[in-house]
Amino acid sequence: MHFFTGGKKVKKSGSNQRTRRGKWIARGYLFPSAAGVLLFFVLPFLIVFFYSVVDNPINRQFVFFDNFVMVFQNAAFQQAAKNTLTFSLTAVPLAVVLSLLLAMTLESKIPFKSQFRTFFLSPMMVPIASVVLIWQVLFHYNGMINEILTFFGRDKIDWLNSSYAQVVIVVLFLWKNLGYNMILFMSALSSIPRDIIEVAVLESATPFQIFWHIKLRYMSSTILFVTIMSLINSFKVFREIYLLKGDYPYDTMYMLQHFMNNTFNRLDYQKMSAAAIMMAIVMVIIIGILFLTENYFGKDVEE
Amino acid sequence: MKMHKGKYKNRVLLEENVSRERWDKQVKRKKKIRDTRQFVRIMLGTFVAACFAILFLMPIILTITNSFMSASEISANYGQVFATTDTGGKVYVSDRVNLKFIPDMVSFSQYITVLLKSPEYLLKFWNSVILVVPIVVFQLLVAAGAAYGFTRYRGRIKEIIFFLYIILMLMPYQVTLVPNYLVSDWLHLLDTNWAIWLPGIFSPFAVYLLTKYMRRIPTAMIEAAQIDGAGEWQIFRRICMPLCKGAMCSIAILIFIDYWNMVEQPLILLSDQEKHPLSVFLSKINAGEIGLAFAVATIYMVPPILVFLYGEDYLVEGITYQGGIKG
Amino acid sequence: MEKLKKGLGAAAGLMLLIAVLSGCGKEEKQGGQSGKEFVYVPEYANLAVSCDYMNSITAAGDYIYFTGDTYAEEEGGEYRSSLYQYNLLENQVKELMKLDEESNKSLSSMAVAQDGNLVAVFNNYEDVTDENGEVIDSKSTLELCRISTTDGSVSDTQDITGALGESEWAYVQYLCVDNQDNIYACDGDGGIHVFSKDMQKLCDIKADGWINSMVTSREGDVYVQYYGNGSGTEFRKVDVAAKKLGDNVAGISDGSFGGIYFTGATKSILVSSNDQVSLFDISSGTMEDLFKWLDADVNGDNVNIAGELSDGRIWAITRDYGAEEAKYELIYLTRKKASEVKEKEEILYGALWLGSDLRKKIIDFNKTSDQYRITVKTYMTDDYETGLAQFNADLTTGSCPDIIDLSSIDFHQYASKGVLEDLYPYMEKSGIRKEEYLENVLKAFEQDGKLYGIMPQFYITTTLAKASLIGERNGWTLSEMLDFVEENDPENVFDYASRASIFYYCIYNNIDEFIDWETGECSFEGEEFIRTLEFAAKFPEEYDYNQEREEGLSSKLRNNKLLLMQTSISSVQEYQMMNGMFGEPVSFVGYPNGEKKGNLIQPASGSVGIGAKSKHKDGAWKFVESLISEEFQDSLVSEHGNYGFPIKKSALEKQFELDMKPEYYEDENGEQVEQMKTSWGYDDFSMDIYAATQEEVDGVKALIESCEKLSGNVDNQLINIITEESEAFFKGQKSAADTAGVIQNRIQIYVNENR
Repeated sequence: MHFFTGGKKVKKSGSNQRTRRGKWIARGYLFPSAAGVLLFFVLPFLIVFFYSVVDNPINRQFVFFDNFVMVFQNAAFQQAAKNTLTFSLTAVPLAVVLSLLLAMTLESKIPFKSQFRTFFLSPMMVPIASVVLIWQVLFHYNGMINEILTFFGRDKIDWLNSSYAQVVIVVLFLWKNLGYNMILFMSALSSIPRDIIEVAVLESATPFQIFWHIKLRYMSSTILFVTIMSLINSFKVFREIYLLKGDYPYDTMYMLQHFMNNTFNRLDYQKMSAAAIMMAIVMVIIIGILFLTENYFGKDVEE
Repeated sequence: MKMHKGKYKNRVLLEENVSRERWDKQVKRKKKIRDTRQFVRIMLGTFVAACFAILFLMPIILTITNSFMSASEISANYGQVFATTDTGGKVYVSDRVNLKFIPDMVSFSQYITVLLKSPEYLLKFWNSVILVVPIVVFQLLVAAGAAYGFTRYRGRIKEIIFFLYIILMLMPYQVTLVPNYLVSDWLHLLDTNWAIWLPGIFSPFAVYLLTKYMRRIPTAMIEAAQIDGAGEWQIFRRICMPLCKGAMCSIAILIFIDYWNMVEQPLILLSDQEKHPLSVFLSKINAGEIGLAFAVATIYMVPPILVFLYGEDYLVEGITYQGGIKG
Repeated sequence: MEKLKKGLGAAAGLMLLIAVLSGCGKEEKQGGQSGKEFVYVPEYANLAVSCDYMNSITAAGDYIYFTGDTYAEEEGGEYRSSLYQYNLLENQVKELMKLDEESNKSLSSMAVAQDGNLVAVFNNYEDVTDENGEVIDSKSTLELCRISTTDGSVSDTQDITGALGESEWAYVQYLCVDNQDNIYACDGDGGIHVFSKDMQKLCDIKADGWINSMVTSREGDVYVQYYGNGSGTEFRKVDVAAKKLGDNVAGISDGSFGGIYFTGATKSILVSSNDQVSLFDISSGTMEDLFKWLDADVNGDNVNIAGELSDGRIWAITRDYGAEEAKYELIYLTRKKASEVKEKEEILYGALWLGSDLRKKIIDFNKTSDQYRITVKTYMTDDYETGLAQFNADLTTGSCPDIIDLSSIDFHQYASKGVLEDLYPYMEKSGIRKEEYLENVLKAFEQDGKLYGIMPQFYITTTLAKASLIGERNGWTLSEMLDFVEENDPENVFDYASRASIFYYCIYNNIDEFIDWETGECSFEGEEFIRTLEFAAKFPEEYDYNQEREEGLSSKLRNNKLLLMQTSISSVQEYQMMNGMFGEPVSFVGYPNGEKKGNLIQPASGSVGIGAKSKHKDGAWKFVESLISEEFQDSLVSEHGNYGFPIKKSALEKQFELDMKPEYYEDENGEQVEQMKTSWGYDDFSMDIYAATQEEVDGVKALIESCEKLSGNVDNQLINIITEESEAFFKGQKSAADTAGVIQNRIQIYVNENR
């Protein structure tokens, strides 16, 4: 047919073959993980989906989306969703911003940098149980914080049994996670190409301008990464709250995981599953938005 | 530890040597004016960092120092906070709590109880090791393969699968705990360590992190190798793995910390209490044993501290490359 | 880096190995009864000698030695005692010697020496008389001796009275002989005293705790198990050479507090807990579980002694202490391939915790049924919540129990999830009419007209007060109760009253008063709850048990120094006593609640239901049916009737008849005089019980009829929240209103969640 393209064609198909083979091998590398994830994560999630459309785990009568409606209207679920959302919306941005500030503080030439870095990471090492013990000592009605308050002539606050409870868990969350986030930012900061900043400095850009237009841009994907990590960790705070106050804490501390955990304990799997799926949907949306934003902001610095 | 730190610095310096020189020359002029301001800023920064450092360090120090208090001193200090009722709930007692950093008298009684008198703690500690170490090792192995698979020949389907991994990773384990029980029951894994190991090993967490990292490896590098005739295994083994060493170490630390503190999974999946890790025991410790809890917690903290001291630089290095990474 | 790599590689390899090993080890245990390769089949043998009590049983090889006491009625009601040698292989007995010749001398313990003869300790009580021949004191001496097992002759008698320490009343609790023929005597105080072969004292060793068991291992070493000082159970070798106890042997006594230890034949030590039989090998520190007592139809609680025979069988001697006529049984357990044993339909019995009455019933059922076999799965390990979580998880899997023990779970929750089967149709099918049973008691397990559980026996928890004070009634509301107390004597409500107990009394069976499940509204911030808080706060935090009690309970009640008494009524005789205690008519006012139904039903020996997803419902019903069968219900009728009322009307009538039947004795004039049936006591009060009058029986009937609800069907979560938060008010840290606010807040979530 096309005579002169023949040679090229042969060559191309050869590399195609190689690529195809490579693709299959690469898929092979993916296989163990994919199989495991399928068995231990996707399959369970499908079971969750199954439970969400039946009346209860024993009878297993198909009820369409009744559970979703029921759970959505449930006052406890609404409370839990609201709390989880408020918590995530305050704690995660705070964790990102504060750790970025900390990272920048450590980036400036202060002494004992590596020691500080280790100190900030130390909360990760403390076993949760002793974290909880210490938090009790601090925020108990008779605890240290209230001692200090009374010393300054202020009234005691019932930290764990009032609307301040959210503050307590935000502090706990920040305490645990700032260190790691900070490290992520520190490495991101150090990997920003120096020459760009130099040029900016030479062109008399203010530190703020440098930060806003250069550093932040270069770090956009790190920010996304830190946000995702913080989001994961914000769900893990449940364990601490649970150990602090049990199944039914004061309502401002009542999270979606409480709802799921309690409904699970009471064999109301259908409620748990419906809640889980709604949570997953919200999560898909949030992560999607984060990805889009990051794409938008960070595209011109990506290779 | 020191050696590694040196290595790390050297590498950064080497890479940036050229630009550094130029930069130094040009900035020197402006620097003098800013010196005083700089000094104030550094002082301020140090101060802020120090304040934070104290806050951050307090719990760990408290845990360690309080573990050297005798039971009577502990109850004198915290009796108010930790008294319990018959039903087991924590209740308020008395009026003051006494948070102390330094014990009145250093006592090893808690440690003697933990280490010598009751072997159960050591047994549970060993359980923790048995449960966690395989998860860390094999999750990394599985994840390395998967990350490679996700990195090479990216396509739409792979991207969707990767997104699915992220969503699954974000799900709190309360969601999958029950179905996991069902699956484990179906596979006859219940009451065996496999029920903990397998979901741990196949957790998407490490896959996500490692993929993020591996995708930063310049495609040119891999393509060059490919043109040189390297097969997928060679590329994986000779290029990706060496480059990811730091990342692997840092991820290993994160996984280790996470599973070292696990509570819920063993409670549900292992009915045999003798298999429970120490973290479960720690989380259920009751009021009468606060002193003991501090001692056990201190012992329990040793492996994470060692892991950190050994691997902190990897933690930083691993992410240095990471810089900005995008899915 | 290279080092790290190697390290990781080695660690990975090691872990993989461990993983595989421990994974496989467990796999065998998996799979329940049906999956087992071997089972132990019981065989019952009558003891070749009949005796009422077997004491000092000691085993060696295929022989056991014991002293048998027999109540000899024809000889003036005295016990006759002999030392027996029993050949377990042949089931033959040989009387070695009579022991009752010297009445104040008794054999207290024995052990078998290397040559096969016995080493024994005799306890000798002697009265010390003064010069006039009057008894002024008594003393005890201990004699160590050898008894030949061929002719029963006693030799080498040695007085060891002083050798066991200062105490005048020292005695030997356990006796063991090691492979050097040293003799170990354990006193009741944690002391171990070792004598050489020629009965010379070698040393004294002290354990820092009460010794629970002393045993010679197969290897010939002597071990003790004791409750260490705050460190749990310890199992240590008695090391004569070092004159101290050796290191704790890990793995044998962990957690099994009820374990008893016997010399093993194939491995070091045979361990029998009330649950199962295991063999422990000391050199490797490994435990091999042989079988569960329950699976072999043996009640582990009743096992006196067990051992291994040379032909590989396991033997045990049991005695049912609960039965009216306790008798010893010798059981041989033969290991057989599961495939050789006749297959029975397996019924899974799921319980958080198995009570002893139901355990007994299950064993009886298994023994008599050739069609079904019940296997028990208990979920409770150490804490309730974990056990419950696993139980719940199992309900949703294929391993859902066929029979569900409702004793420690809230049946309402399970019934509404469809976990439980309605039992009324089954009753109908079996021709059992519910009218034959106490319907109001049956109803306690009813929901929406369906019966979800059955209890064979019940008692009533209630609160009593003088009828002259509160009038005749069967219940009251919380405010009525508070009004009554505040009008009369707010200080003295209950005996041993504490804040917690008062609060508990007011709230525990009354939680629905504060929660409107229809609208989901809680009223803990309301006046009534706050009033209750304030009321409870007036009582001491803890009752001071050390304070001197000037007046007994009954006297206080009679003199109006106490208003109320919380108690339970499980028999007519108890009812009779309560009336006697007050000295005037009593009102069973019970616990406060909105419906004014104060008297509550409590299952006396557990309760069961059938799993709705069960595949063996017929077999499960067979068991449940046996609990309410005429035969079993009639067997619950007893002279003292003090365990609870049977649920079947005919049996209850029989019980009443028995209670009303007077007992007579013949006085010296040959006339029949009514005599007391028994005597009851409570605190300072005691009373002789005669046959009940019709009036009293009617009173009990009325009381039973007034009951409707089960006691304590409240989620612990709620009680926990309330007790946890109310403490802040009791300590004076918060106002009652603030406290109520927090309680309201937390409980509201609970309520919302469950709607």
